Amino acid sequence: MELLYIDSWSELLIGSVIGIVVVFIALTILVLLFSLTQYLILNSSKKKLIKAGKKEEEIIDVSANEIAAISMALHLFMSDIHDKESNVITIKRIERRYSPWNSKIYGLNNTLNR
Amino acid sequence: MRDIKYKIGFLLIIMGLFLPMGLFAQASGETSLIMDSLQKFWSQTSFANFEFKYLVMIVIGIAFLWLGISKNWEPLLLVPIGFGILVGNVPFTEGYQIGIYEKGSVMNILYSGVLTGWYPPLIFLGIGAMTDFSTLIANPKLMLIGAAAQLGIFTTFIGAYALGFTPEQCGAIGIIGGADGPTAIFLASRLAPELMGAIAVAAYSYMALVPVIQPPVMKLFTNNKERLIRMKPPRQVTRFEKIAFPVIGLLLTTFISPSAMPLLGMLFFGNLLKESGVTERLAETARFALINTITIILGLTVGASTQADKFLTVDSLLIFGLGAAAFIVATAGGVLFVKFMNLFLKEGNKINPLIGNAGVSAVPDSARVSQEIGLHYDKTNHLLMHAMAPNVAGVIGSAVAAGILLSMLT
Repeated sequence: MELLYIDSWSELLIGSVIGIVVVFIALTILVLLFSLTQYLILNSSKKKLIKAGKKEEEIIDVSANEIAAISMALHLFMSDIHDKESNVITIKRIERRYSPWNSKIYGLNNTLNR
Repeated sequence: MRDIKYKIGFLLIIMGLFLPMGLFAQASGETSLIMDSLQKFWSQTSFANFEFKYLVMIVIGIAFLWLGISKNWEPLLLVPIGFGILVGNVPFTEGYQIGIYEKGSVMNILYSGVLTGWYPPLIFLGIGAMTDFSTLIANPKLMLIGAAAQLGIFTTFIGAYALGFTPEQCGAIGIIGGADGPTAIFLASRLAPELMGAIAVAAYSYMALVPVIQPPVMKLFTNNKERLIRMKPPRQVTRFEKIAFPVIGLLLTTFISPSAMPLLGMLFFGNLLKESGVTERLAETARFALINTITIILGLTVGASTQADKFLTVDSLLIFGLGAAAFIVATAGGVLFVKFMNLFLKEGNKINPLIGNAGVSAVPDSARVSQEIGLHYDKTNHLLMHAMAPNVAGVIGSAVAAGILLSMLT
C-alpha cells in the first residue's frame, strides 16, 4: 500500500500535514461517536427513571468522589461491626493427659555436671 | 595474615604445576604449540579485542543502571536496557555466533522479535489489559489532546529530513516524538532496521526522562491562573460503554489507518479481555506474565543491539538530538492545544493546560508529571485522573500516526 511517494520537500511537507490531519480526524470521529453514545445512554437511563416515577429534578449524577467516599464509609462501618464482640473474656481450660513422650522430665539432667 | 599466607602458598603450588609442564613441553619440542594455544586463547578474550568505544558504551550502560536503580527512573525499562548495553558491548571475536548481529547466535534469535516487530504488539496487548479507558469515555473531548501531542512526530519527521536522513529513516526517527517505545520499535523495524538500536534507546531514554523534560515546557507555556483551573470530576461510566469502547475504537481507527492494526488490534483486544469481565484469567496473563516476559527480552536485546561499532555514529547522536526536540514539541503541542480548546469552552468546563503534556503516550509517567506539577501550584487540585484520558488517547494517537507513516513510506 502506498499513499504518497516522498522524494522532495514539498511532498514531505504534504505528507506531514496529511499525517497529523488523519490523526486528528481519527480521534475526532472517536470523540463524536462516544459523545453520542454518552448522550444516548444518559438519556435512556433518565427516561427509565422518569417512567419509574422519579421527578426530573431528582435525577442527579453522583460523582466518582462521592461514590468513593460512600464506599469507604460503608467499608469502615462494616469492619467496625466485625470488631465489636461480646467483650466477655473467657479462659478455656485445656486438660492434657500425661504421656512420657511429651514429658519434660526426660529432657533434663537429674544430676548437675560439675 | 594467615589467609594471605594460604593464598601465596596456593599460588606457588599452581606455578609449581606449570613448571614441569613447561619443562616437558621444552623437552618434547611442543613449546610453540602451547604458546600458539595461549595466543589463540588470548586473541579471543575481550582484553585483546578491546577498543575505547566499548568502554564508552559500558559507561553508558552503567549510567542507565544507576538511573534505574538509584533514581528509580523507569526501572522496568532502564535496568534491562542498561544491562543489555553491557551484554552487547563485551568485545569478542566475530565468527563464533556470540554477538547479537551474528546470525544464529542466541542473542540474535531473541533479537528477531524486535527485527520482525512481533514484540511490540504483545506489549500493546498487555498495555490494553492494564489500561482503564473510563476517564476517556467519560470526557471524550480530552482525546483530542492525544492527537495534538502527535505534532512532535511530524515536526521531527521534517527535522530529520532537513538533517539528511532518507524519508523512511525520517519516519522511524519521527515516531520517537510519540513517546511510545513499542511503537517506535515496531516502526523502526519496518522502515529503518539499521537505526533500530539508536531509535529504541532514544525512545526509552526520553520516556524515562519525562519528569525532567516536560515540567519546564509546561511551565513555560502556562500562566498561574491556568495552572489553578479545577476540572469537573468525571462521571461514572457504564459497563456497556467500557465494552463498546475497544470494539468501536478498533473498527474506527483501523478502518482509517489499517497499517496500525497490529498495534491497535492488540491494544483493544487486551482492553476487551479486561473489560468483558469473563476473561479475567487471560487479562491477568496479558497484564502480568506476558508483558513482563516480553519486556525482559525486549529491553535486554534492545540494549544489546547498541554494540559500539554499530551504535557510536554521528547518526545516533543526531537521532538523540532529534528525539529530545520531538519530546519538547510534543509536550508543547499538547499544552498549547488545551489552551486553544479553552478559548471555546465555557467557564466551569475549562481544561487545566497542565494535563496537555500527558498527550504524549508515556503511560503513566506523563500523567504523573501533570499531577505533581498541579499539586505544586494547588495542594488540593488532583489532575491525575483527568491526565490519564489524554495519556491513553496518546497511545491510540501514536499508533495511528505510526500506521500513517508506514502507509506513506513503505
